[in-house]
Amino acid sequence: MVKITYIEDNGERHTVDAPLGLSMMKAAVNQGIEAIVAECGGNCACGTCRVYIPEEWRDRLQPPEESESEMIQYSGDEDPGVRLSCQIPVTEELDGIEVRMPKSQY
Amino acid sequence: MTKYEKADVFNDAEVTADPYPFFEYLREMGPVTRDPLRDDVVHVTGYDEGNSIFKDDENFSAVDCTTGPFLPYAFDRSRDMDEQIADCRKQFPFADSIINQDLPAHNRSKSILNGIITPARLKANEEFMHTLANEIIDEFIDDGRFDVVSQYGQPFAQLVIADLLGVPKEDHNEVRGLIGAPDQMPGTLGGQFDFANNPLMKMGMHFVQYITDRRANPRDDVLTRLAHQTVDDGSLPDPLEVVAVATFLFGAGQDTTVQLFTGMMRYLSEYPDLEDRLRADRSRIPDFIEEVLRMQGTTKSTFRLCRRPITVGGVDIAPGTHVMLHLAGMNRDPRKFENPGKFDMDRSNLRTHVTFGRGIHACAGGPLARAEGRVSLERMFDRFRNIRIDEEKHGSPGQWEFDYLMNYSLRGVLEMQVLFDRID
Repeated sequence: MVKITYIEDNGERHTVDAPLGLSMMKAAVNQGIEAIVAECGGNCACGTCRVYIPEEWRDRLQPPEESESEMIQYSGDEDPGVRLSCQIPVTEELDGIEVRMPKSQY
Repeated sequence: MTKYEKADVFNDAEVTADPYPFFEYLREMGPVTRDPLRDDVVHVTGYDEGNSIFKDDENFSAVDCTTGPFLPYAFDRSRDMDEQIADCRKQFPFADSIINQDLPAHNRSKSILNGIITPARLKANEEFMHTLANEIIDEFIDDGRFDVVSQYGQPFAQLVIADLLGVPKEDHNEVRGLIGAPDQMPGTLGGQFDFANNPLMKMGMHFVQYITDRRANPRDDVLTRLAHQTVDDGSLPDPLEVVAVATFLFGAGQDTTVQLFTGMMRYLSEYPDLEDRLRADRSRIPDFIEEVLRMQGTTKSTFRLCRRPITVGGVDIAPGTHVMLHLAGMNRDPRKFENPGKFDMDRSNLRTHVTFGRGIHACAGGPLARAEGRVSLERMFDRFRNIRIDEEKHGSPGQWEFDYLMNYSLRGVLEMQVLFDRID
């Protein structure tokens, strides 16, 4: 288990114990965090599980694959830290990470 | 609403023609409620309750997604469900289609599908849509009228998928003829439908040839990419697995899209100022489409089979129960959508409707359908104005007379005559 904090656009924070191996998306959805919509259930096909990774954490994540980059581009979100949380596996290195979420996933 | 106490949703033509009052009757009894007649069916009209089921791949299976209780397999509710589901798939290959698969098998099909519907392909496909819309409009522009179903929707939807999959242009005419008989689709009232008697079988045979050929003789085309798409473990799938997904797309992208168009025409006719408003600000067309999808989504109901005992919305659901998720009911849940029966493209949570489902089986064609609706309306606005349903044929707004698809899963009309004034 690692601690991940999801921060809503209005500042509300949700800290969850995320099991290793799950995706960062699933760890949020399982705790009922509604700002992660994840319409497609984690198939990298909808762009509605976007999170913003703080700059200091970006290098610790595997870079996005082409399909994720394409989907992010399709979503039109140009935040420099934007990632699809369904494509980020929960690993020990992520313990303590705090990610922001967009005001709307649409 | 007592007339629904004995309503048989799987047979009742009246409920099928106007399902919304029936959903409200169910909602009065709770967001999750048992079927009035069958002990193996539970109804869901609650938005949150339905979404929790969509996200729960552990306790629910999609094996009955398109058929509900009319799978030709007798589940013994006292025995382990997982074993029986596997057995059912072995006996009936249609129960092992991408829409019916569970994890992990679904991941395999999904990787083939993700190779087909990519943002880049969608973009190229949208360019094709613009040309195609114009060509189809040319066929009836001189008549001042058209049947939205047969003259626009069906050829448009078929050829868009053909282009998406890279079917060569010389085969497009044949594709246009592949329209399934409405009474053979899954979900037909009474539960009698024959998966074998399906015009898509023919399309499947074409795809076997395409895939085999492109594996042997790669070219720079979409079919070659499709033929070489690997699955989640990195291996190259059997050509038949690719064919199954490609053929499925033809079926899935057909009536659903056709009825998006009829829904659009319906609201343009019921609110005559809408056309002017959308013409004045075409950037609102996507919002218009979202509200049409919420109010008149084609897939009104879908199913999940309960695998393990679970309680949802205060109702205990036993293994073997077919959970009927009424998407059209969830979309009108007043806890989620204020004044839900009103068409209002200004509502703030427009996009949160569940017409495309949620979870791993969420419709992969959602972005495609949205683009099809947008491009079509743009083209129609360029070519004609004063778009209205023919009242002589279909009665007056709000009291329309249509022949509806007699189907407990899909909502749609068999014909919709629309009049317009040509713009020269």
